[in-house]
Amino acid sequence: MRLLIVNRTLKWCSRNTWGDGRDVTTDLKNHRQYYCDSDLEKALNRVDFFRIFHTMALRYGFDHFGILQLGNEGDACTLTNRLALHDLPSGLSDAYDKRHRFGDSVVFKSLHTSSIPSTWKAGDLHPGGNLLDQLGFDVLICVPVAGITGARYAVLFLGDGEGMERQAHFALCYDAICAFDYFYRLVLSNKAGLGLTPRETEILRWISHGKTASEIALIVSVSEHTVNSHTATILKKLDVVNRTQMVAKAIREQIIQ
Amino acid sequence: MTHTIHILLVDDDPAENLIMRGVMKKVSSVEIHLHYCQTIGEALAFIASGTSVSMVLMDNRLQQCDFRETVPALRQQGYIGPIGVISSSLADPYFQKFEEYGADFRIDKGELDPTAIEFILREYVTRA
Repeated sequence: MRLLIVNRTLKWCSRNTWGDGRDVTTDLKNHRQYYCDSDLEKALNRVDFFRIFHTMALRYGFDHFGILQLGNEGDACTLTNRLALHDLPSGLSDAYDKRHRFGDSVVFKSLHTSSIPSTWKAGDLHPGGNLLDQLGFDVLICVPVAGITGARYAVLFLGDGEGMERQAHFALCYDAICAFDYFYRLVLSNKAGLGLTPRETEILRWISHGKTASEIALIVSVSEHTVNSHTATILKKLDVVNRTQMVAKAIREQIIQ
Repeated sequence: MTHTIHILLVDDDPAENLIMRGVMKKVSSVEIHLHYCQTIGEALAFIASGTSVSMVLMDNRLQQCDFRETVPALRQQGYIGPIGVISSSLADPYFQKFEEYGADFRIDKGELDPTAIEFILREYVTRA
């Protein structure tokens, strides 16, 4: 019996180490009981999370999703800058920002006054105009979420349907919270202080040799986009602002010789 | 104003070329010129010809090989643009290592709708 309890505890606390040195705690299986779990466990980059959220939106009868960064309500903000990931039609958020002030919308303000999931419909009268009328959708579901560091976001689902039944709404909220948790930990979180992966160290070494991104891409057989993405991650992990400071700090901390 | 993006599709099934052309036509934000190669040999020759390619969509399995051989071969040819691996199933465990083989992303063929194409182009091509 005692052994069983120990095993259960170990299972609950079991930690998987990812390629970049992070420990990701794996919860009990029965904490994640929906079928999207396997996709979440396998997700690695923004395209994977796009697939997960896009499929989730379609599964619940919506056309689009958006992950909205919340923050200081008083800051001037645009919809385009606040969207961390979305599948809205190209140019829609830019067109919206040219005509409207997202920071003044009732939806945005309400997300700063309550963390209860909400449903919004086109046609309702809002001071300054209804966001849905302005974007051209009938219904919007907002699921406020938070990263493990407390950073606040909202997962938005937009469509032209009638809204949702209570149980489906609950299920959508649960799925959105789970998916966002993974997305935040793997993509959005500030990785300052975390160790570099072997590939990141390799790219850092080539940067210290004065190679450009395209040259490094050729040398290590990846795309230029991947090199730039690794470089951005290295900047975050080393908590530096440019490549010069990056190399200086890496030498100072003996990451490279 | 829309601009033209050149995408190379490498797939041993010509039917996929027809399907993909239909999907690409529905993308309204950019004009997509889809090039098609049926074998990795043709694809390598196409890249070597110097034709501008903004992105490669590589079928996972091409006859006797899979992306673990074909993607590195494209990289060895000097192609440094984005490469996406497409497949009718992403379930095989080796898909978890796609980045190690030089691929940028993986996507199920069934998920490649115009919205997904626009997102991928935004992420890897037009923003770059």
